[in-house]
Amino acid sequence: MPERSSKAVRRVLLAGFALLLVSVYIYLTKGEFELSVRDVVQTLLRIHPQPDNDLIVFEFRLPRLVIAALVGFGLAIAGAAVQGVTRNGLADPGILGIHAGAGAAIVLYMYAFQGQVIRTGWTAIMTMPLFGLAGGAAAAALLFAFAWQNGRLDAQRMILTGIAISSGFGAFTLFLSLRMNAKDFEMAAVWLTGSIWNANWIYILSMLPWFILLTPLLLRRTRTLDLFQLDESMVRSLGLRYGRELVILLLCSIGLVSACVSVSGSISFVGLLAPHIARRLVGPRHRHLLPVCGLIGVLLVVISDLIAKSVFAPAELPVGIVISLVGVPYFLLLLYKSRSVGS
Amino acid sequence: MMQRNNFTPLLLGIAPVALLLLFAVSIRYGAKPIAASTVWDALLHFDAGNADHQIIRHSRLPRALGSFMIGAFLAVSGALMQGMTRNYLASPSIMGVTDGSAFAITLGMIFLPGASSLEMILYSLVGSLFGVLLVFGAAALLPGGMSPVRMAILGTIIGTFMSSASAAFAAYFQVSQNVSFWYSSRLHQLEPALIQLALPFAVIGLGIALLISRQITILSLGDEVSQGLGMRGWLVKAAAMGAVVLLTGISVALAGKIAFVGLIVPHIARFFVGVDYRRIIPCAGWLGGLFLMLCDILARFLNYPFELPVGVVTSLFGVPVFLYLIRKKGGGKHA
Repeated sequence: MPERSSKAVRRVLLAGFALLLVSVYIYLTKGEFELSVRDVVQTLLRIHPQPDNDLIVFEFRLPRLVIAALVGFGLAIAGAAVQGVTRNGLADPGILGIHAGAGAAIVLYMYAFQGQVIRTGWTAIMTMPLFGLAGGAAAAALLFAFAWQNGRLDAQRMILTGIAISSGFGAFTLFLSLRMNAKDFEMAAVWLTGSIWNANWIYILSMLPWFILLTPLLLRRTRTLDLFQLDESMVRSLGLRYGRELVILLLCSIGLVSACVSVSGSISFVGLLAPHIARRLVGPRHRHLLPVCGLIGVLLVVISDLIAKSVFAPAELPVGIVISLVGVPYFLLLLYKSRSVGS
Repeated sequence: MMQRNNFTPLLLGIAPVALLLLFAVSIRYGAKPIAASTVWDALLHFDAGNADHQIIRHSRLPRALGSFMIGAFLAVSGALMQGMTRNYLASPSIMGVTDGSAFAITLGMIFLPGASSLEMILYSLVGSLFGVLLVFGAAALLPGGMSPVRMAILGTIIGTFMSSASAAFAAYFQVSQNVSFWYSSRLHQLEPALIQLALPFAVIGLGIALLISRQITILSLGDEVSQGLGMRGWLVKAAAMGAVVLLTGISVALAGKIAFVGLIVPHIARFFVGVDYRRIIPCAGWLGGLFLMLCDILARFLNYPFELPVGVVTSLFGVPVFLYLIRKKGGGKHA
């Protein structure tokens, strides 16, 4: 059984990478300004570099592509971890208000340092995810405080609590952003809707440490995540420190989420869709699930961003909206399928 | 069960006094300081050449009246929905009604541009009907979908979908700016002419609500009871839906989406006057109007001299109550 399963994983990963290659090809060549594959390859490999192509590839398309990929990956595996920890198939950091919490903290940070040009300040950008982490953790703490009852999390109530928390944080964010000066406000408003138009290598650098640190931590805990699917008492009897593992897993996910949110705003439903698709492809074991899930997240965001910037050209739609147009029907489908009747 | 009858006359007695008080505050204070005597003059001896008089007559007066009306409409809609579905989380904004309304307005602006105000109101009504039908339809199809928590999730998610779809349509046809104008709450831009146009719809909606309040009480006791009493439940439900569609539809047409009023005010009303909807509906109307007026006044001062969107202020009160309701009544089915 495990043999066959890992073969399936390999097949899925291969297919995923092939699809990714196609989307990267379209992403880099098509747009306002068409480039041929040769142009792109030559630019990337620094063969007869031309300033025009350099500008397009290195300043516009490549950073945006990398950010889309990183965000997709981070949100997807964070989503898988949160779903695993809460044993709730409907959980998604976006729906649960963790995005909103991280976003609110980041806006608070922007507001506090108003005027001191945030766009270029290195330290400022690098510390943004840190604040996001605090906000996301606060949201998660609130979530647990309100949805925890009789020693367990009620799945549906948790979602509703998350919705309430995110509208609360959303209002707070709106309040703060309206108090900012016009330039910062503009930036915050675009950023909040979940778009990656303002791609820039500095942002990528600010995300990287989080990914390098937290992804291995999560990947090493796939077995723990498997065990979390059991009853809490069972987990304890297997010698796992339930509370400690829970906090570590949640903090890892929140850290990833906040790194993503600090760059691309709140993009919901990736953390919901990717794990479900991955589970259908390779089954529920997290050792296989997490990598596949990450790849699917990458694909989701990259392709959605492609749609967001091409279908609506010359206007551009926030990628978050494209994803939620796909995500909502899927969420409803999941809701129909889930057996447990509410309350 | 304790019937708190004695609060009803007290509440209905205090409400007009509070209304007058808030009304006075609302037209007296704002971004531009205007002396009380000038306000008085503007009301009694209007001088079209005086800028202050213009502000009072054309900005503050419609705003004060409009916020009271809209608050009342939303609260009555919420009370009707909560009674009818026996769902303590039901309300126009959570159940996707306001999103449906704004969605229809978006489509109207794209495909039938140059619509008159009256047509806008009609679009809005059609949209809220669509939203109600979609959410209730989905809930009816879903096993256990009528349970409060499930229905609230469904409503919110369908609402998200409709607002995403509106954003996509708006971006595609490049009318985003006009659409966001309809989407955000904007009590400060109420048009007197639009309020007048909306009044007949509102009167019909409120009339229906009051007429069926007795039947709503019976419905809120459960299907067994209402059937046992020989009531035609579907008729009452249809009438209640009609009233909700009318009241919510014109609220959105007038002032965009305003969250939480329809959720929390009926609960406050129920706390004071008990479980009889003959009392809850009028009290919710009064309290809702007063609540939104108060929020509107706060919205002017929390960020003085700039204004906050009133939605931020209503969330300030709404989110804690929402969380409390989820926590407190999690499993209960009854409104």
